Amino acid sequence: MDQPVSRAAHIDGKAIAAKMLVEISQEAAELADNGWQPRLVSVSVGDTAAAELYVRNQQRSAQAAGVAFESRSYPADISMEQLVGVLQGLNADPRVNGIIIQRPLPPHIPVKALQKAVHPLKDVEGMHPASIGNIVYNDLALGPCTAVAAVEILKTLPLRIEGLDVTVIGHSEIVGKPIAFLLMGLGATVTVCHHMTRSVAMHSRAADAVFVAVGKPGLVTGDMIKPGAALIDIGINRVDGRTVGDADFDSCAAVAGWITPVPGGVGPVTVAILMKNAVLATRLQRQHYRENYARTEV
Amino acid sequence: MTATVIDGKAFAATVREKVAAHVARLKEEHGITPGLAVVLVGEDPASQVYVRSKGKQTVEAGMASFEHKLAADTSEEALLDIVRQLNADPKVHGILVQLPLPSHLNSDLIINSIDPSKDVDGFHISNVGLLGTGQKSMVPCTPLGCLMLLRDHLGSLAGKNAVVIGRSNIVGKPMAQLLLGDSCTVTIAHSRTKDIESVVRQADIVVAAVGRPEMVKGDWIKRGAVVIDVGINRIDGAEGKTRLVGDCDFESCAEVAGAITPVPGGVGPMTIACLLANTLTACCRTNGLPEPEGLTA
Repeated sequence: MDQPVSRAAHIDGKAIAAKMLVEISQEAAELADNGWQPRLVSVSVGDTAAAELYVRNQQRSAQAAGVAFESRSYPADISMEQLVGVLQGLNADPRVNGIIIQRPLPPHIPVKALQKAVHPLKDVEGMHPASIGNIVYNDLALGPCTAVAAVEILKTLPLRIEGLDVTVIGHSEIVGKPIAFLLMGLGATVTVCHHMTRSVAMHSRAADAVFVAVGKPGLVTGDMIKPGAALIDIGINRVDGRTVGDADFDSCAAVAGWITPVPGGVGPVTVAILMKNAVLATRLQRQHYRENYARTEV
Repeated sequence: MTATVIDGKAFAATVREKVAAHVARLKEEHGITPGLAVVLVGEDPASQVYVRSKGKQTVEAGMASFEHKLAADTSEEALLDIVRQLNADPKVHGILVQLPLPSHLNSDLIINSIDPSKDVDGFHISNVGLLGTGQKSMVPCTPLGCLMLLRDHLGSLAGKNAVVIGRSNIVGKPMAQLLLGDSCTVTIAHSRTKDIESVVRQADIVVAAVGRPEMVKGDWIKRGAVVIDVGINRIDGAEGKTRLVGDCDFESCAEVAGAITPVPGGVGPMTIACLLANTLTACCRTNGLPEPEGLTA
C-alpha cells in the first residue's frame, strides 16, 4: 500500500516559541530596567528525576527570555503544612514573581490544595481557581500554559477564529475546558467531546479546527478530520520508546491543512507561555504595588 | 402539540419543600437556622419585586431573611463595609447583592468581596474557577435550576448532545460546565456561530439563553429533543397589552420537541428555589454537616 502523502503544513512549535521568547525578553528587560526583574521559583518534591527534563527546559527558556529562574527541591516526606508554609513564604517574598509546582507530587500532597495556596498574582501556571475563573469570564489573566499555547498556535494560522467551528476532544480541567473557554471568548463555536461522547468522529469531521488532549495514542485518525482543517495535538505519549501525540500523524497529515507534530508542536510553545505568564505576573504585581503602596497624591 | 410541557412551577415547589424539610431538621438536630442576606441598592422596580419575593420564600422555607435596602447613592466604601459585616456574621450563610448595581459602583469588585463560601449566586471569581475545574463550588442559580429540570426529566444526561445558545457569564458559560460535568457532549452556540440552525438540530438537549424573543423555531429542533428556555422577554401582545415569551417559539418548538419548558412557569420559578437550595448547601458546608442530596450540581 502506498504511504499516505502528507499534504498538511507542519506547524513548527519551536519556531513559534523562539519568536515569542524574543518578544518576551524585550518586555522582561524593560521590567528589569525599572527594578522589576521577573523571577520564577520552581518547587519540586521528592523524586525529582521525573520532573528534571521539564525543569531543565524551563530553565533554558527562562534564560532565553531574561527571566531569573531558581529551582528548589524538597524531600519526599515533607508534610503538606510545611509545603504550604514554603509557598506562603514565596507568596510574601517581593523578589519572587511566579511559582511553579512541578509534578508528579508524592501521594500525600493533594495537588489542587497546593495550587490554591499559590497567590493568584504569582500563579504563572494558571491553575488557581481564580485564574481559571478569569479565563471563563474572558478577562486578561494568567491562563493555564498548555491551553493558552494551543490557542496561540491556532492564532498563527491564516484562519478567522470568529465563527470558526472548533471541536475539542478531552475535557480536562487544565487543558480541554480552558481551551474551550478561550476559543469561545474569541468567538469560535466550540464543541467539547470526551469519553462519553457517542460519536467523536461526527463532531471532529464537522470542525475547521480540532484540538485533542486525551492521552491516547492514535485516537484521532485521518478519516475523522475535515480536509484542510487544522489539527492541534496536545497529547504526549510514550510508545515503544518514541514520543507521540494523540493523533495518528501520517493519516491525519494526509487530510489536514495544518498539523502540529509531537514532539516539537505544542510542547515548546507551552514553555514560552510560562515565561510570558512570568512577565505578565510581574507586571500585575507592579501594578498592584503601585495602586496599594505607592500612591503619591499631592 | 406533542411535547411534554415541563412544569417548572410544580418542580420548584418540590425543591422548596425539600429545602424546608432539611431546614427543619437542621434547627431541630443542630439548633442552626440557615440565613440569607439580600442587599439591594437603589430603587429599580424589577429588582424590588425580586428581592421581595426572595425574602418571602426564604421565610417560608424556615430560613432567616436579612434585607439591606440602601439608597441609590450609597458609596462603594459603604457597600463594601456592609458586605464585610455580612461575611463576618455567623447567622448569615448566604449573601446576595442584587444586580444590576447603580453605575457608580464596580459590580466585579463588590461581588468578589463576598466570602466565596457565602456567594449563593455563584458569581465570585473563585466559584467560577472552582466550577471550571470540577471542584465543589457555589453554582449559579438559573443554570442549576435548568440542570435539575433536565435530570428530573431525563435521568442520566451522559452521552447526550447538548447545545447551549448564548455564552453569558451568568447562564450560558456555567450551563456548559454543568452539562460537561454530567458527561454531555457540549456545543456553545452564540451570535457569531455560522449556521446556528443546523448546530441546534444536532442536539438532544437545547438550552436557550440569549434574550431574543422567539428566536429558536421548531424546524431548528431535532424530533424528541428536550428544550429548556431560559429567556424572559416582554413583547407587545394583543389589545395593546404586553406578554412574556421565551427565546424559543413555543408553538412550533412544542410540535417537534419531546419536552419543553414554558415561559413563564418553566425555568423562572426554579431560580429562587435554587437560591434557597444554595443557602442551605452553604450552611451545611460552613457547619461541617453532610450536604443535602440532589440540591446542588
